[in-house]
This record gives sequence, C-alpha cells and structure tokens, in this order.
Amino acid sequence: MAVQVKKYDAWPIIKNMLETEEVARQHLNSYNELIETGLQSIIDEINGLEIEALGNPYRVKFGKLTIGKPRVVEIDGSVSNILPLEARLRALTYSAPLYLEMVMEEKGSATDMQRQHIGELPVMVKSKLCALNGYNEEQLIERGEDRHDPGGYFIVHGSERVIVGLEDLSPNKVLVDIEKTGTTTTFKSRIYSSIVGYRSKLEITLKQDGAVNVKLPSSPVDLPFVTVLRTLGLQTDKEIADTISLRPEIQDLLEVSFEKSSETPTTDDALVYIGNRVAHGMPDEFRVRKALSVLDWGLLPHLGRKEENRFDKAMFIGEAVCKLLELKLGLVTPDDKDHYGNKMIKFAGQMLADLFRTSFRNLVRDLKYQLERTGQRRGINVVGAAIRPGIIKDKLTNSIATGNWGRGKVGVTQLLDRTNFLSTTSHLRRIQSPLSRTQPNFEARDLHATHFGRICPTETPEGANCGLVKNIALSAMISVNSPIDDVIERLTELGVISTREKREDMKADDCKIFLNGWFMGFHSDGKQLVSEFRDIRRKSGIHPHVGIAYFPPPAKKASHRVYVSTSAGRVIRPLIVVKNGKPLLSVEKIEKIIQGENNWRDLLMDGLIELIDANEEENAYISMEYSDLNNEHTHLEIFTPSMLGVAGSVIPYPEHNQSPRNTYESAMAKQSLGFSTPTYPVTTSVREHLLVYPQSPLVTTQLTDLLRLNERPNGQNCVVAVLSYEGYNIEDAIVMNKSSIQRGLARSFFYRSYKAEAKQYPGGMKDNFEIPSAEDNIRGYRGEKYYRLLEPDGVISHESVVGGGDVVIGRTSPPRFMEEYREFEVKGPYRRDTSSAVRPTESGVVDSVFVTESLEGGHSYTIRIRDMRIPEIGDKFASRHGQKGVIGLTVNQEDMPYTEDGIVPDVIINPHAFPSRMTVGQFIESLAGKTASMRGRQTDGTAFVGENPDDLKKELKSHGFRETGREVMYDGITGRKYMVDVYIGVVYYQKLHHMVTDKIHARARGQVQMLTKQPTEGRARGGGLRFGEMERDCLISYGASMVLKDRLLDEADKAELYVCEECGLIAYYDTKQHRYVCRICGDPSKISTVVVAYAFKLLLQEMMSLNITPRLKIKAKV
Amino acid sequence: MKLKVLEKSIDRVKIQLQGISLSYANAIRRIALSEVPVMAIDNIIIIENSSIMYDELLAHRLGLIPLKTDLSKYVLPKDCDCDNSLGCLKCSVSLVLDSGDNDSTKEILSGQLKSVSDTTTIPVNSNIPIVKVAPGQKVSLEAYARLGTGKEHAKWQASNVSILKPTKEEDTDNDYTLEIESTGALSAIEIFVKATEILRNELQEFTEKTGSLKK
Repeated sequence: MAVQVKKYDAWPIIKNMLETEEVARQHLNSYNELIETGLQSIIDEINGLEIEALGNPYRVKFGKLTIGKPRVVEIDGSVSNILPLEARLRALTYSAPLYLEMVMEEKGSATDMQRQHIGELPVMVKSKLCALNGYNEEQLIERGEDRHDPGGYFIVHGSERVIVGLEDLSPNKVLVDIEKTGTTTTFKSRIYSSIVGYRSKLEITLKQDGAVNVKLPSSPVDLPFVTVLRTLGLQTDKEIADTISLRPEIQDLLEVSFEKSSETPTTDDALVYIGNRVAHGMPDEFRVRKALSVLDWGLLPHLGRKEENRFDKAMFIGEAVCKLLELKLGLVTPDDKDHYGNKMIKFAGQMLADLFRTSFRNLVRDLKYQLERTGQRRGINVVGAAIRPGIIKDKLTNSIATGNWGRGKVGVTQLLDRTNFLSTTSHLRRIQSPLSRTQPNFEARDLHATHFGRICPTETPEGANCGLVKNIALSAMISVNSPIDDVIERLTELGVISTREKREDMKADDCKIFLNGWFMGFHSDGKQLVSEFRDIRRKSGIHPHVGIAYFPPPAKKASHRVYVSTSAGRVIRPLIVVKNGKPLLSVEKIEKIIQGENNWRDLLMDGLIELIDANEEENAYISMEYSDLNNEHTHLEIFTPSMLGVAGSVIPYPEHNQSPRNTYESAMAKQSLGFSTPTYPVTTSVREHLLVYPQSPLVTTQLTDLLRLNERPNGQNCVVAVLSYEGYNIEDAIVMNKSSIQRGLARSFFYRSYKAEAKQYPGGMKDNFEIPSAEDNIRGYRGEKYYRLLEPDGVISHESVVGGGDVVIGRTSPPRFMEEYREFEVKGPYRRDTSSAVRPTESGVVDSVFVTESLEGGHSYTIRIRDMRIPEIGDKFASRHGQKGVIGLTVNQEDMPYTEDGIVPDVIINPHAFPSRMTVGQFIESLAGKTASMRGRQTDGTAFVGENPDDLKKELKSHGFRETGREVMYDGITGRKYMVDVYIGVVYYQKLHHMVTDKIHARARGQVQMLTKQPTEGRARGGGLRFGEMERDCLISYGASMVLKDRLLDEADKAELYVCEECGLIAYYDTKQHRYVCRICGDPSKISTVVVAYAFKLLLQEMMSLNITPRLKIKAKV
Repeated sequence: MKLKVLEKSIDRVKIQLQGISLSYANAIRRIALSEVPVMAIDNIIIIENSSIMYDELLAHRLGLIPLKTDLSKYVLPKDCDCDNSLGCLKCSVSLVLDSGDNDSTKEILSGQLKSVSDTTTIPVNSNIPIVKVAPGQKVSLEAYARLGTGKEHAKWQASNVSILKPTKEEDTDNDYTLEIESTGALSAIEIFVKATEILRNELQEFTEKTGSLKK
C-alpha cells in the first residue's frame, strides 16, 4: 500500500487561532487589562489626599477599587442589573459602578474605612465585566444576542460605539534622524517618553557647531547635554565620555560639548545653570528646586520620577547621544518612522485610562475642595457625601458618546457599522493614524514591508484618509503588557550586567541591552543572548508576547544593541519556528489541531510556533512556502492568505486582480446589504437594511467561513453574462432580468426608526402623547389626515401603511418659553405639535412599536417603519472585484438571451468593464461559480492557495461545458444566434445601499430660506437644483437673456425695492399715509421701484450695518 | 411544414419545427414564456400572521407557488364579466392556509394550502417550504388565485425554460427545435398548444383588422 504523503498545510492553526481568539480580541484584551490592573494603578498613583482642615488636618487614603455589575439606576432610585439588549432598546448606557475603599487617617492612624461609589465605567460588550461574559451560544441567544456578535464596543445612550485603534509612535525609543534645512544639517535624536496619560518629548540635537544640546519641554532654551548629565550625577569628563561610548572616534566628537559646559564642572553648578534657565528670576533655592523637579518630572518620565532614577536617565541620555554621534559618523542610518517596529496601537483600555486619569484627578480635587470647605465636620460619612460620582461618569460617557477626547482629539469613537456582518467585523479591526489627513505624509501612507502579516495591504479608504486608516490583518494580534520582573530575572541569568555595575573589563563592542526603553545593561554577545532568550520563551519561561530583537551594528564601529519589549500595543504575528531547514511543527501536530485535541496555544507553549513583532522579524528569515525551506530559514509562514484583512480576505482570487480593484472592493463590501444580525427584529438603530434572500457565495474563501460570512452573507449568486445589451449597459450600467427580480432577486427591506420621549419641564408641564386635536389651540397642527392612523394613545399601530408626512407618534408640548400675559389673547394658552412624522420622501409599513420607560421616568416610543425595496433602474450593485454599476434596464425573461440549455442570465454586464481594469479575478470567479453550481460544492478561491483555475476548467468540461467559460447564446428578442460566444458564469453580486428611491429628487416650487428668500438646498428640505455659474455661462454665451433672468431672478429671490433717487438709499412705502418716504431726504423726494434679487437687498443692508453707505444711482431706462 | 415531437414528458417537450420561419418559431417560444395563462395566487387576506416573516414576503412566496391549472374552467379576469376585486368562481379560486396551533417549530409547506372552491387547483408540489413557525406562532390566511400571464409577473409564467435553436449546427433551412419546460401548472405540450393558439388568435385578429382596411 502506498504511503499517503500529507501536504504540509498549516491553515488549521490560523483557523483555530481566529476561532478561539475571535475578531475583537484586541479590544477585549485592552479593556480587560484596564479593569484588572489599569484603573487600580491610576488610583494608586494618587493614593490619597490631605485635607487641611483648620487645626487638625487628616488624610483620606485610597484602597482597593472594585467594579460592580452593569446596571441602571431608575428614576425612583431602584437599581437593576441590565443586559446589552436592554441598554440598546431603552437607550441606556451600559455601565458598571466603581467603588473605592477610602480610609480615614488621623494623626497617622487609620480610624475608619468605607467603600464609596466614585463613578460609572462604560462596559465593553463581551469583556470580563459584561453580563454576557462566559456565556455559550445558547445562553447568548436566550439573552437576545447574536451568538456570533464579536463584542468589543460600548453602548452609550443606546448606540453602539467603537473606540477605533489609534496608531502611535512607540514611546521610550531613541529615534535618530537627519534634518536638512537649506545648507545646514542637523542631527536629531528624539524620544517620546511616556507613561499612562503623560507624555514628554525629549530632543537631542547636534548642530553644525558640533555641540550636542538637549531640548526639554519645560525649558525655554536648549541645554548643553554635558550640563544635563552633570545634574544627573555624573561628574568627571571621563565618566561622561565613557557613558556615551568607549570608542575614541565618538569621544572625539564630544570636545565642543565639554567646552560649552566648562563653566559647570560640578553637579551643583549644573543645577544652578539649569535653574537659571527654567526658573529665571526666581529666588536661588527655588531655582535649584525647580531644576530638580524638571529633571525628575519632565525628563524621561518613563524611567521614574524619583531621585534614584536619575542615574538611569543619565545612561539613557548617554545612549541617545551615542546613537546621535554614530549617525553623524555615518555608522548608523536614520531610523525609519514608518517601520512597524516603531509603532504601537492604542485600544480602548489605554484610551480610557487617559480619560479616567484626568477625571479621577478632577474628582479628587473636587473632593478636597468640598471637604476643606465644610471645615470642622469630618468623618468617613462626610467624605462619602462629598464625592461626586458624576465627574467620572459624565466624562467617560460623554467622551465615548461624542468621540471627543479632549486636547483637540476628536473622532476617537465611531458608531459601530452594522450595514452587514463583514462591515461590523472590519470596523472592529480598524486602525487610525493620528497624522493629519490634510498634509501629504506620503511615506506614512505607503505600504511598508513590515506591514506584511500585520496590516491589510488592500483594505484602506481612497482619498483623504488613504493609508492613514488601516485594518489589521487576520494573522495579526496585538500584544498585551507582560510581567517585566520575570524578564529582568531571565536576562540577568543570561549574563546581562547592569549599567550600575562598574566594570574594568568593559569593551566598546559590548552589546547594549534595552528593556522597554530602559538601558538595562551590557552583554558580551548580543546575538547569543537573544538566541538563548528566545529558547526560554519557546519553553514558556516567559510570556509569549515578549519581543526581543538584536540589532547588529550596521558598520563595524557602531554599537550592538538588543531591544526587549514587554509592552502592550505591538503588532505581533504567529510564525512556525524552523530549525535546520525543518519546521518544528509536524504534520501530526497539525492533525491534532484539526481533531481538536490541541489548540494553537498549546503549540505556542511548546515553542512550535511563536509570536513575532516587527522588530524581532528583522532577525528572522522567513520562508513563504514549505517547499522553499533551506537551512538558513528561521521561520515558516503559517498561512499566507492571512496577511489580508477582513474585507480583503473575502475576495475570491484577489491575486488575479489589479491591486486597486481589491482596495475598491474592500470599501464597497462594507456598503452591501446582507444579514447583519439575527436580532434585526428588535434593533432600533435609525437606519437599517436587510437582504431578503441572502446566499453564501458559491466561490468562497477559507476565511469567508471563518469570519462566519457563510452564515451572515451579504450578496447573492447571479448568472452573469458578459455582453452588450441594446446599449443599456454602457458606462458600467448593468441589465437585470426582470423575471429574476420578480422571483425575489436582490429584494431588501429598509428600516427607519422614529423615536419620541415625553419630557417633563420645570413648572409641572410635560409632553403628552395624544392625537393633536383641531379644536385645541395647537400650534403647528398639520391637518386631520396626517393623524388618521394614530390610536387613542397617540401612537400608530402595527402594520399600518404609512406615506410621507403621516404622523407615527402624536405628541404635544408646552410653549417653549414662558410668554408674557397677553391681554387680548383670544385663544388662551396654547400647546405645540411635536409629533414625529414619516419623512416626506419615504413610505412603508409600521414594522414594530417599542414602548419603554426612559430614565427620566416618561414613556419612550420607538416606531420602526419597514419598506420593501425591489430592485429598480438606478439601484447600485457590485461584484466582489471592485466592479460596481447601476441597473440600466430591467428585461423580461423572454427578451433576455439564452444558452443552449435554456439558461437565462440574471445580470448582463458590458465587456468594456474589463480591459482597462484587469479584474481577471472576476472571470475566474465566474468560471469557478459555474463549476461550483454544477458539482454542488463551493469552490475555494482563497488568495494564493485557491483551487487552480486550470483544474476548474477541466472539471467544467467534465460537466459538458466548454472550458473557456464561453457558450453559444441566442438573442431572446429575435431568436437569432449571436455571432460570437458569450462568457457566462456565476458571480456573487452585492446590492449596495445606494438606492434611487433614497436619492430621486425634483422640484417645481417649494420652500425658501428665511434669510435670503432663495430656494433651500438639499433633498431632505425639498430644495432646488442649483442653477450654477457654469449653467449661467451657457445661457450668457447663447444669448438667452430672458431665460437667464427667469432662472436667476424671477424664479429665485425676486424682490421690489424702493430707492430714493436723490440719495440712492432704500426708501419705503408708508401704508397708512399711502405715500413713499425717504427718511434721509424727507419730503419731497423722488422714489422709484427697482426689481432686485433679495440677496442683493440683504447685502445693501448688511453693508449699512457696517457703516458703509451703498448708494444706488437710478437713471431712467433709455 | 413539418412538426415532429422528439421528446415528450409531462413537464418537458422537445419539438422539431421544419419549414417555419425563425420569427414565427421564436414567437411561439416567447409566448410560451410570457403569454400562456396559468393560475397563481394574487390576493391574500391575512387573518393572522405572528410568524417572523412579514405579510408582504409571505404573499410573495405564496404567489410564486405553481398551481395546477385547468384552462378550460377559468377565464382571465379581464375577460370575466364579474366585477369583484377578488374575482368570481369563473375567474378565481380561493385557497386557505392555516398553520394551526403548534408546540414545536415546524415548517409550513405548500401542501398545507387547501383549495376551497376547486379541489383541482392545488400546488404542483406539496413540499415547497412557505414559512417556518416557532411554538406559539400562527399563520392563517385566505388566498385567491387567478389566471394571469408572465407579461404581468413572473409568477404567472407557464414555463421557465423555453429554448429555440437550429436543429443542425448551421442555421440555413428553417429547421428549428423548440424545447419547453413547464413549471407544472400545465403540461409542457399544453403550453405549446396554447402558445400556438394564442399566436393564431392574435394573427387572426390582426388579419381581420388589416382586412377591414381594404373596405
């Protein structure tokens, strides 16, 4: 019996990884870390507060923070735990209470302790705080959730909001750069030192004079670096020079710097020098104190903010200077800012930590103020009463609700895209760059080699945000913070000698070891250290997310450096470890994954695969294919298609397309209608779509299934012929089979929700839900027919057929302002009609009526209208290859072309769509779709590894078709055979949410703007279509002056103006005296009527208000 | 002119037409698709629908169920002298669907659609799924089927596949093969016969009209 050789296919690993980690892991990990350690550490930083009460001061010390369950406090004060479903339906905020232990300390001893409510924390859905945490699929369904919902977002005031990942330069790293301005060249070393919520930039420059200077954020002037090092405790020139480098070439460059600092030979001198600059004009002792505080707080805060950290800071500055001088000598090249090893991504946890820090500080400040003001009253109960939990609650909820993060950061949160399941998933994996979208930033927008396997190469928007908004690849993971103590211990065991140890045998080419931007020490052989360290990591000796990278000196005399990172936010990706040209991961092990005996984490623990960050990848030699492996390789790719992101990986055969087409499709797929969630009957988002008969694609990818898009599809398989049809499909239009449409093709529902709440007003007045009555004195009464569908409670009933303007919720409100009593008011008090009506351009059927109680205690109604959308001319469709088009014609079946077998296409697209766009992938999909429908099994079109098109052709042939994909076709109208064969097959088509019904617009007469009396703009306001400047030019050049006058004056904002012929200013007609009056010239005066545009009249008057006298000189028509 | 039935079954027929022009043959093909009248549900009175499926979708699905049609019994509504929107016994058939009470999830199939006025007008296939109902959900409705043509809506298409192609490779001597596949409402041969009949009637009417021009 022949031994069956199994193909080496590591796909099950990526599959298992995505199945266990799910798509929103990065958000959940980040948030979980925040609630487990992050918040507590922020509180510990502040630790407590001193109350300077008269006579006997006391202290309030903070203890442990505990977080309750997601809950809501009703208007009557009752508290109930809530599920995400209730938060969405009742427009509540899904948040949990924060409790902090507070201890009273008087004269150094604790007297009393209490747990106090300090605020509310919005809860991330599916995080460890969420009520859904740990539930299985059945339990989720019972709780009204989509069992496949990825979580990772917040619910604030009922709307789902995502904190999109924010890409940032990694902190605490020395980045060197050369800046050329004109003839001068400046060498710069930059360090963004940051700890949670606090960031300080340090810049060290080497200008043409050869002096090295330090620029501190708190100092107005540059400081000589030698002086700075002296303040940090280094004294002698030799000590300083050796800190920088032992190499004479580099030490030689320091001469100028030493000269500059010759006036400050000691630490004390240096402190005075800096003090004079940072606190100019202050008393002596204060200056030194200020200098010290600048060093401890402003300089490299990531290394600590205490006196004992000064040595580390000195070492770090030494390294920064060393790298700078190496750059000057050409030993190293400038650092690449776009290298992904120099980037980190911040998710919800880090973003919320920033907010929590500021709001918690505010709360503490407020508490201190309150307690000091109350004076003698004291005790834990007084402290409890003085806490205002609203400070934290409001800050957090408002920031998430608006995306406003303070300090000019806007758009941090976005409304979760629920157009279809794919768009939701993709949205949760999106990354934003803080770089300005108005500046070019060409390099930052480019695809970088280190993006491979981390960032999707195709999924990015076009236009302003191109390359700045990215999506993480399916293989990518985001690192979490890992314990640093273990790492220090291991490194020390491996022979790293601390910078604090003075050694006689230190050599210039000892390798420098950095741990998270801390200059930890030296090692004689960096390469060996790294390899031993990796062995420990592979044996689970340390956290798998820890990254270690060896940077060999690019030139012989440059420093060796090793960087170890345990920080969160690095993008890591799994790779198979290769030893001696053989992958450690055997086929048997993969088989065990398939059987479910092992999971991918077991492989990670066994060191068969490992997680590599972009810096460490620089040390790796990775083989794409198993078959290419040789002895030099250190790693093997697991599954190459996983280099793509969510949207990119559902395109079949993308490697056959021109690259921008895949980018277009990545953007378009997010606009396609589908089955976004099984909870659609109870969703109340303002706008929503549902495709009636969604199908899983016949040509699929392995990742489609993994992303559950076979269960939550967003398109339908259509028989597509590539053919011209009577000119109705030119310019990217498509011809669609009317009979197919009548059988239900691309039918969808559109839902719109209208919400109304009864508010209470000061003075006992409130909104009423009722049918506004013509008899009552109601302002804005619309007319009886618009209220006809309302039931006595003022609300419309289920399944009522509504049209534009029909009221769905009847409501009256009290007058907006308390008006003064009018003596002759005949009608008495009035109310306003504040009913909600169907939009004028829409119609449908009342789908559902939701009644809940708002947090203010009143009733709250949500009415959802549904409208069936049958495809019509003008509706937009797209294949999965960036080929979009609108329906140009719908054709009855008998008029459509047919094949020998009687197959009639659903869609006819024009052949001109292909030559210039080169979307060959669509042809292959067509062929593969045809094969799939004949054999009754989906075709795998995964990028790079999909079924071979040649095999598909053969299979197609075995089903009696021609392998070219072309067929003989007959014209349905004449019955004649077409002269050429037609390319016909099955292609997955997506209905996009741009539909004509939502766009169609015309106007004859209508509203005008209040200020200018010109027609309003925009369809929603029944606006006019602008007769613009170019249109005006046409009429002028044609000579149609009467048409011009008609458009621009008579039918726009015609106005009559009375002008005094003597002064040229505006006069008026006095209706009481029946005469024309000019207030400037008085009687007698000649006044003429002039026809002008109202906007012109407005201009005249606005000029007058600016003290400009516009005079119209009137002459009689000749 | 020669006419030869090459293959024949209830729902499929293949006929060779010799000595007949392409336009004439294609007219038959097109009429088979769009003008041969069959029964389909057109009006529905929903008594109760607590299923997840919307009324309009339910109606759409019911409409698409092919019904066995006896053309001798019914006339098209436009030719009927009744003035009723739901039709009369001559132009419409009423059917009822009632899911009844259920305590488990079940699928409602076309077989449960019961004819009231005429027991021969029933779904061609009794296993077409209409809607799934969960425990406690109920669907109860009255449906009115009438004759119509494919021109109006695809649900009234008597045949969904109708192929006309030259019998031989090259299309020279007016020799065509017409293949008609029925939805099951009528037999395939009935469709063919009816199609020719419609064509004949139209041509006759046309001839009469043109004839009257001479006078």
